[in-house]
Amino acid sequence: MPATPSHDVPDAQLIARCIVADDRHAFAELVKRHQSSVRACLRKLTAGNHALADDLAQDTFVLAWRNLKSFRQEARFSTWLYRIATNCWLAQARKPREELLGERDADVGEDDADAVAPGFGEGADHAATATMKIDLERAMARLSDAERAAIVQCYHNDLSHEEAAYVLGWPVGTVKTHILRGKQKLKAALSAWAPATSTRTP
Amino acid sequence: MNARSTPIPEPQADWLDAFLSAEGVDDRAGYIGDDGFTARVMQELPAPVSVPAWRRPVVVALWLVAAVVIATMLPGTVLDVTREFVRLFAAIPFSLSTLGFGIVAVSIAMWTATAVALRRD
Repeated sequence: MPATPSHDVPDAQLIARCIVADDRHAFAELVKRHQSSVRACLRKLTAGNHALADDLAQDTFVLAWRNLKSFRQEARFSTWLYRIATNCWLAQARKPREELLGERDADVGEDDADAVAPGFGEGADHAATATMKIDLERAMARLSDAERAAIVQCYHNDLSHEEAAYVLGWPVGTVKTHILRGKQKLKAALSAWAPATSTRTP
Repeated sequence: MNARSTPIPEPQADWLDAFLSAEGVDDRAGYIGDDGFTARVMQELPAPVSVPAWRRPVVVALWLVAAVVIATMLPGTVLDVTREFVRLFAAIPFSLSTLGFGIVAVSIAMWTATAVALRRD
């Protein structure tokens, strides 16, 4: 696993250096710190399209640099980045659907191969969990953009409903509604994995 | 933004909640390696605005030229304005504390202007 960057200097101090002294080394440090979470979030939002997610992540950080002076510390820096990333993704999502999902199947296929092939000595539980993850990814891809965005912010990024509302630019009630609808669809798509079936395999 | 509202528990969806939460924890624990991503972002940033070194002296010289031109073209007006300024300030009685305060105020203004100019450069 790659080494995670150390957080000796607080984000706020690095941001101040960027704004006051146009310090690009400080911004590079911020990118190193947050690239993983932003790229992971975008990979979820683009339903596994890693290439598109990385392009959007790049746009996100460039926009963050340009708008750093408007960051008012009213939210955490990571939450602010999620907001920009989500806006980039929503702008991209307005483009034709086939362009957005063009590479997804291939990417999911690669992930499937990685996920389904467990290491030596790992049991059936691991394979079942991997299969469930794939099913979840496919079910997430079938949600509407709004439902997927709300679920990704609250579960994947572990944001509160209020923080998700800030990121998505929606009222809290709308976020809750989309989460509820999304979960209903996921529950239907993943019903085979419900505990009522008593077994973990569909 | 730190106040968290707990999702309303749905008995039927508890297993899904638990699974989504566990997925989120797994995903957050997994770090995506940089692999040149930061370098690509830094290349995409707009180039820093560089102000040429000759700009400031040229601006000062242009202002001086403009002042000389105005003084040459409108000598009467310049003399009148100067006279009024002298009369205005001569009418105000200066104490030592007022003078000190004025010097401090002018110094602060100069330092601030210099700091702003250096920051922009």
